[in-house]
Amino acid sequence: MRLFQEFTKGFVKENPVFVMALGLCPTLAVTSSVENAIGMGMAATFVLAFSNSIISLIKNLIPSKIRIPAYIVVIASFVTIVDMVMNAYFPEIHKNLGLFIPLIVVNCIILGRAEAFASKNNLLRSVIDGLGMGLGFTLALIVIGSIREILGAGQLLGYNILPATYKPVLVAILAPGAFLVMGILMGLMNLKKNK
Amino acid sequence: MSQIYAVSAAPHIKQKISVSSVMWQVALALTPALLAAVVFFGIRSLELTIYGILAAVITEALFQKIRQVPITVTDGSAVVTGMLISFNLNVASPWWLPVAGSVFAITIGKQIFGGLGHNPMNPALLGRAFLVASWPTLTTAGWTASAPFKNLFEGSINGLKNLPSNIPDVITSATPLGVAKALRDPAIISRDMAETVMNKLADMDTIRHLFWGNIGGCIGEVSAGLLLLGAAYLAYKHIIEWRIPVSYIATVFVLIYVFGGINGLFSASILLPVFHIFAGGLILGAFFMATDMVTSPVTKRGRYIFGIGCGIITVVIRLVGGYPEGVSYSILLMNIAVPLIDKYTVPKPFGEVRS
Amino acid sequence: MKYYLKLGFVLLIITVIASGILAFINSFTEPIIKFNEQKQKEEARREVHPEAASFDSIGTINNETITVYAARAENDSLIGYTFLAVKYGYSSDVKTMVGLRSDLSINKIKIISQAETPGLGANCTKPEFQEKFSNLKYDNLLVDKDGGNITSITGATITTRTITNSIKEAFDNLDPVLKNTKTEEVTE
Repeated sequence: MRLFQEFTKGFVKENPVFVMALGLCPTLAVTSSVENAIGMGMAATFVLAFSNSIISLIKNLIPSKIRIPAYIVVIASFVTIVDMVMNAYFPEIHKNLGLFIPLIVVNCIILGRAEAFASKNNLLRSVIDGLGMGLGFTLALIVIGSIREILGAGQLLGYNILPATYKPVLVAILAPGAFLVMGILMGLMNLKKNK
Repeated sequence: MSQIYAVSAAPHIKQKISVSSVMWQVALALTPALLAAVVFFGIRSLELTIYGILAAVITEALFQKIRQVPITVTDGSAVVTGMLISFNLNVASPWWLPVAGSVFAITIGKQIFGGLGHNPMNPALLGRAFLVASWPTLTTAGWTASAPFKNLFEGSINGLKNLPSNIPDVITSATPLGVAKALRDPAIISRDMAETVMNKLADMDTIRHLFWGNIGGCIGEVSAGLLLLGAAYLAYKHIIEWRIPVSYIATVFVLIYVFGGINGLFSASILLPVFHIFAGGLILGAFFMATDMVTSPVTKRGRYIFGIGCGIITVVIRLVGGYPEGVSYSILLMNIAVPLIDKYTVPKPFGEVRS
Repeated sequence: MKYYLKLGFVLLIITVIASGILAFINSFTEPIIKFNEQKQKEEARREVHPEAASFDSIGTINNETITVYAARAENDSLIGYTFLAVKYGYSSDVKTMVGLRSDLSINKIKIISQAETPGLGANCTKPEFQEKFSNLKYDNLLVDKDGGNITSITGATITTRTITNSIKEAFDNLDPVLKNTKTEEVTE
């Protein structure tokens, strides 16, 4: 039961984007469509799960003075793996996400979970935490991405879901739209929490 | 607390004004310009304005009901916002455009910050920025000339009727500022022709048309003369104060005179700055938007800085930016700077000992 | 001192392991990535010359930034040329694959990559827009706002003009390269 809570806490209660406000740069940058949001979310989840597990395994071998560089090397390796594999097998998504794949290295969620969780917990719990947080991040990206894609392009996952007479609110898929949608969602979550 | 309220040293004079009376008088002052729009563009401009006002008022009432705070739509501030948003539109806009602008302006621009008095930026301008970013083709292209009274004055859409006929299309279908912008791009128009057109722009005839409003453009900016009439009324009633509009317009005048010509510094005729003042939304922006009490500085020095800043940004956008007109963005940008301006221009109380 | 050597040693081990793993994976993915890139370019060329059977490089123009390819049919006869025109538009480099027939009229163009404003300049990827370039010759490459026949994308004259001019600039330098291939042309 405790493990299950460890898994689901990242979805809403400790959602990395809406509650902890971590990893906002990719959140703002890649959520102009749901497809990109899913691609980015899955890539980050993959990195998060594996970096958490490796760091949990080697936590006792690393002197605390050099733990941050050691974590970064581990994270950067997995990010590079994701970058190469995506480029080889999903070139379309890789092209869209572009620079933001390598930038997963400096995504605060990943180093944050390594430092705050994986370095203090065992392998199983670390993997569960990584998966949960990663999926929470993905969920947040998908929510923002769907709102922006529906409003800004009248589409969802590339399919037209609104009638042709709908004139898209272009600003939603431009940069200001990302800030607006994320800000409003964060505000609504706080409103609900404070009630 | 005293630091927040005491902006200048005592004694303070109390005036009998309220938000409500101020806002209704602003609405009244905007009416002559609206009448001009009806005359030049037809009844459609009145319809669009009413859509904008209704949407603004209903949104404000709904939002305040949801927030469970007193409903204050009768103070007229939502009416002014709705009016100004419609004033920024092309008369050929669909009905939902002013509605969308008003809803955005009231929710995101105003109520989300806590309602009137808490908004950092002018809600109407924010609504306009939202419309321009969202539907750029509907808000920035296809300006219509004043159809029914097109021949009332002998000039056509931009007073450029007697131009050489081989001038490219862009020159004859744009707003006056669109023309002024196109002249600066050698890829569009040759140097010689640019000079001919430039002389036409900086011409008493053109300026007369701009002043009365027989030009292409959006609903509210069409007649500079009637906007000035409204502004004069507000100034007489001490609702708007002169420092912001005067420093704003003076800055535009000087900068256009220095940099506006196409043959280097000081090559512009003295009438070119006059053209730039009456064309576009400068009069509307300087008198009715930049002077918004909530979003402009409270100190006197601050107001000069605010006006000069608006002027500089406007001229930079008009001469070298991507858009032909920069009034709305310049005011929005300076709105953001207001807390900073206020912070550095607080007057020193008399007799205070320096610590 | 010994402690610091140990720290360095630990980091060294971690990085060595990491680079070993990365090198191993790279050996798998690199050929695929290369192959994909080639295939993409090949497909883009075929896009503007669907009837061509093969393409071969015949030289470079514009300071070797643009490689011109000759498109050949099954029997090796020349049916046209392709090149990738690149120019900075409103907010990004717009890359246009251009297919010319052997009489130097445009067969088709295809926008390969761009990051112009969504809803405005980004509309240049729509087929309706790209079709407007078909059958044009050098002299007709002019946007309507400048007196030509290419209807510009609503609200995105700059992008339209960029695409037009990028093709034009490549055209300007095309002659020397084409002269080399004229001799190889199979007469029918």
